[in-house]
Amino acid sequence: MHSFSELVIGDVFVAPFISYAVTALAILVAVRPILHLCRFGKLFSHPAVAELSLYVTILGLLTVAF
Amino acid sequence: MTTATITRSLSFAGAPLSDWAFGIRVWVAIVVALAASFWLQLEAPASAALTVAILAAPTRGQALEKAGYRLMGTFIGVTAALAITAVFSQARDLLLAAFCAWIGLCVFAAGSLDGNRAYAAVLSGYTVALIAIQQIDSPQHVFESGVARGAAIAVGIAAVAVVNDLLAAPDSFPQLASQLAALHRRVRDYAKAVLRDRAIDAATAAGLLRDIAALRPEMTSLATESPSGSVRSAAARSTAVALVAEVYAARTLIALPATADPAEQLPTSAAVGRNDTDAGAGRPLSAPSSWASREFLRRDVEVRDGLATLNAGTRPRRAWRTPLYRSQRIAAAAGIRAALCLALASAFYVMAGWPAAEVSLSIVGLIIGLGTITPDPNGFTAVAFIGAPIAVILAGTLEFLILDGVNEFALLALALAPFVIGAGVLMTRPNRLLSALGRVNLFFILLLVGLSNPPSYDPQAFLFTSLFLCVAVALLLAAQILIPMPSIERLQGWIMASARRDFERELSGRDRHLAPEEAMFRDAARIGQIPVGGTSSRDSGVLAEALSYFDRAAAIRLCGASLARLAETSLSHLAAEAQTALAAQDTQRLRDLNLTLRDMAGAENGLVEEISGELALAAIAIDAATHAAAPVMESVS
Repeated sequence: MHSFSELVIGDVFVAPFISYAVTALAILVAVRPILHLCRFGKLFSHPAVAELSLYVTILGLLTVAF
Repeated sequence: MTTATITRSLSFAGAPLSDWAFGIRVWVAIVVALAASFWLQLEAPASAALTVAILAAPTRGQALEKAGYRLMGTFIGVTAALAITAVFSQARDLLLAAFCAWIGLCVFAAGSLDGNRAYAAVLSGYTVALIAIQQIDSPQHVFESGVARGAAIAVGIAAVAVVNDLLAAPDSFPQLASQLAALHRRVRDYAKAVLRDRAIDAATAAGLLRDIAALRPEMTSLATESPSGSVRSAAARSTAVALVAEVYAARTLIALPATADPAEQLPTSAAVGRNDTDAGAGRPLSAPSSWASREFLRRDVEVRDGLATLNAGTRPRRAWRTPLYRSQRIAAAAGIRAALCLALASAFYVMAGWPAAEVSLSIVGLIIGLGTITPDPNGFTAVAFIGAPIAVILAGTLEFLILDGVNEFALLALALAPFVIGAGVLMTRPNRLLSALGRVNLFFILLLVGLSNPPSYDPQAFLFTSLFLCVAVALLLAAQILIPMPSIERLQGWIMASARRDFERELSGRDRHLAPEEAMFRDAARIGQIPVGGTSSRDSGVLAEALSYFDRAAAIRLCGASLARLAETSLSHLAAEAQTALAAQDTQRLRDLNLTLRDMAGAENGLVEEISGELALAAIAIDAATHAAAPVMESVS
């Protein structure tokens, strides 16, 4: 079990979860063009739910790995 | 052509099921946002619920884009609040003056932007009201207040995004595609009417251009919707630009000389209706007629291609931008008026010396901001004036009759349901008054009901907040009546002055950073901005003049772009001569050059033949537009 470190911006502490959530969002936005090329939208009956699940997966992996 | 249509067969209590689904989604999102805020022990849980109310949009793309801009606007607003408080915390009057100036600036910025960008601009303004003004007596708490608001907004945004995803909120693109397809049908009907009657009201063309340009915010919001969103957004933009170009091509048909029966000269109206792209080919057409019909059919094909790529989610062959037109003078006038209205309200509160008046003043700032992004700010204030007492009664019923002291979250969630879902369904009504009343009520009810953990059920606090809300709306309405908006004639004058200026710049060849079609879209957006009070002869005269500039500028740009290609050949001297004739609007010279080029064009030289046709058409379009800057131009018959 690793420890989580806060992000400190000008003496203001930001919860680790916020950094993970924002990073996961940035990764998802960066991955979007690739998803379009893979025809991600056509693979699922509800692409929006699939995309949300992908976001949760990235967020979970970030939390576990870093 | 594949078009997506939205079927609205099932309905309940007079509203389609999709509207009820929207209301339920808003309610679920509000409950989730409140539950998360209470669980996280946020200081401002009501802000999370209000965020959901503000982001309530029927489709996913619109809500997500607005969410992004809400975060950005809040960040700018909190920064401005910190700066204003830091500089003027010891001087109340200066702080209020700075606040008025900031709101004026934000309203000006909103007037220069559109869609959710405009919303972000006004949000930056009223965030200062909600943070700096509400903490006017305790400036040391401004930062904490800003952080609390930011956290609540983030929770609200997450709730909206998750609920919209899980409850299958509809995507924007099918609706947008059907709107574009409907506009395409209207443009073709317009062309058929031109061919049949050759007498079309200026308002019809202006209405078409206005409706096409009005879809711009929806087209940009597609980008956030899905992985293929940015591609669909590009496809939608290209379709809209091609639609504007098709309207222009249809308008050139009016200008053609009626030397013979137009139904024989041009692709027949039936052919236009059949998508018969070869309708103009193989007939003994005169050069301009041939070129006009080919141009119209080419644009028609472009629109159909654009719609097909939008539906398929593939990249369009040509990605056109959709430049925005906004009158800086109108935006500046709106900004100054907003600042003055707020200054009047501030002066009233300062003189009244009421305790806790800052809450009321922040509500004035809020309503100014929200009204700015509606087409009719005064109308919005009037709706808020009607909606505020209704919301007070509803919120009082909810808090003191239905809930009446309960502490369980489940009961709060259930009690909120009829109010939130009802307001959500009202928001989706086509009637603009009902829709605005629904939005205002959803917002005010959440503002008035003391959403805190544990709930306070303080009748005195409720009475004060209700009173301040009603006073704020009444005061703003009085201020807006006292400081009227510029008259419609003056607004029309400002827009026409900018049209003239841009046209002169076009003639001088200084403004060539846009493709001809993109510049046409910008002109269409300008025509969409012209306020028309009714169907007076003055209004139709202004529209006809604006369309005359639109036609001439489009003819000159399209011709100029082709001549640039000719300049790269051995006929560059003729290209230069034609450019000079275009700049001078010398139609006789253009006709002479047309004949010269036609003589030179052999069967193998398609470019020269094409430019010859374009020159002749430009000459005709410029002549028709110049001679008919009055309404006469629209009725050739």
